[in-house]
Amino acid sequence: MNNLFLSFVPGSSLLHRLDPRTKIIGLMLSSICILEASSFVEIVLLTFVFLSLVISCKLPAMHFVRSVRPMLFFFAILFITQLLFTEGNTIYRFKWISLSYEGLLLGSIITLRFIFLLLFAALLTATTSASRITTGIERLLRPLPLRYMGISSHDLAMMMSLSIYFVPLLYDNFRSLKEAQFSRGLNIKKTPVKAIFSLSVPLVNSSLRRVEEVALAMESRCYTSLGRTSIHVMEVKKLDYLFFFLYSIFFIFYIL
Amino acid sequence: MSIDLRNVSFWYNRGTSLEKQALNNVNLSIEKAEFVLITGEVGSGKSTLIRHFNGLLSPQSGSVTVSGIGSTSKDLRLIAGLLMQYPQKQLFGRTVFEDVSFGPSNFGLKGEALDKRVSDALYLLGLDSDISGLSPFALSGGQMRLVVLAGVMAMKPEYLVLDEPTSGIDPQNRSSLLSTLKKLHRSGISIIVVSHQICELLPLAEKVILLKNGKVAFAGTPKEYLKSVSSPLPEITLLMKELNLAGFNVNEDIFSVDDAFREIRNELEEKGVNQDE
Repeated sequence: MNNLFLSFVPGSSLLHRLDPRTKIIGLMLSSICILEASSFVEIVLLTFVFLSLVISCKLPAMHFVRSVRPMLFFFAILFITQLLFTEGNTIYRFKWISLSYEGLLLGSIITLRFIFLLLFAALLTATTSASRITTGIERLLRPLPLRYMGISSHDLAMMMSLSIYFVPLLYDNFRSLKEAQFSRGLNIKKTPVKAIFSLSVPLVNSSLRRVEEVALAMESRCYTSLGRTSIHVMEVKKLDYLFFFLYSIFFIFYIL
Repeated sequence: MSIDLRNVSFWYNRGTSLEKQALNNVNLSIEKAEFVLITGEVGSGKSTLIRHFNGLLSPQSGSVTVSGIGSTSKDLRLIAGLLMQYPQKQLFGRTVFEDVSFGPSNFGLKGEALDKRVSDALYLLGLDSDISGLSPFALSGGQMRLVVLAGVMAMKPEYLVLDEPTSGIDPQNRSSLLSTLKKLHRSGISIIVVSHQICELLPLAEKVILLKNGKVAFAGTPKEYLKSVSSPLPEITLLMKELNLAGFNVNEDIFSVDDAFREIRNELEEKGVNQDE
């Protein structure tokens, strides 16, 4: 499961070679486009962009299925509420339930928007390792006057990478606890309250201990947030300039 | 009545690019009231194997039956009690009583019968009944381990399965844990221990199972193990082998310090060495 979370697919494709900053900005721009998309033509365009990126980078389809799958229930509810509660030309009626054409349109566009948000984000995580993403974010945040508020972008990035580091640990911990309590006959359906306590108390307990250990380990190696360089050298290459050029052309068109 | 595994195979992440076979066509049977040591390298499938004994995992091919019950039944958890690695991590109760009673109460035990189960289990492990009102987090590490073990024993399992019970434990607590296991075994419970610290467990075991890459590489008595397996061996056995290489003539299939001491003394006497020197 470890590897399935935030799964990075190693490779050397076009997107892999891009600077993380370029990809993050690209993700931000494409998110704006996705949220602005209001017709099927735009959705088709997005699909085209997405598919050409996936195919050109030879990414496994499974990765994207996995990124959308946990949210399917949410999407279903989103779609159904739009379908039921939008007024307009009725296309189908069953007793008091009436489905409108506008509802169908709106529902599918809104749902597709969310799906594309996830898919494009998955494109970033598939081609960029978590530590590169955080380094990229750190560098992007650097120009912001955060240090006048007492925050350094490095601290933010450190917090982010530590959180990412803890997610699979927490998951592993949870899984082994679940096995331990299941071995003692825990039945989540029968005694849900007991189940929550028997899992959450030791989970919180051991997580806090874990956090303390990590803090001590950092402390004992004299960690300081000042004057540190990153393991990843950020380099803006020709490819990145090309992408920025494309971004700006796109943006100009968008404004016009 | 026994634990029987027939052609059991198990894969993690089956059908994905991360597929990894943990068990490969495992056949074994563990009789009732046997003391079994399961050993093997890290990643050889030991932990995966024992999770089949109480139904946490079901085999993806082959079959597991424990005392005649198939691996999908929840009753397996009553028959085979599993003590996980670093068991003190699973404590959660406000009191020791709450924690020890967790298992039996999940199987519907209530009131006085439950009280009795808990106090019996604490007694069995040599814990003072006074501690049942304390918070488990106030206990020492060794006592925490015993409390969790009491929680497993309170379910009255026929088989007690322990995953690396002696890892991260000080020598004193280790020997008391081992003698507790011996005591439990004498009372008629099958003990199945997974460990790579074989020196301390070989003298207790009646049967040794060595796993290698998800396959059973050896199964037999400790004496046979020492004869037919080249590694891992207990240090004391290695010492005897070294002595033989150095020109002595001692018995090699020895795994306890006492036996080794006796053997070496006999050998020295035969050679006519004065032992006072």
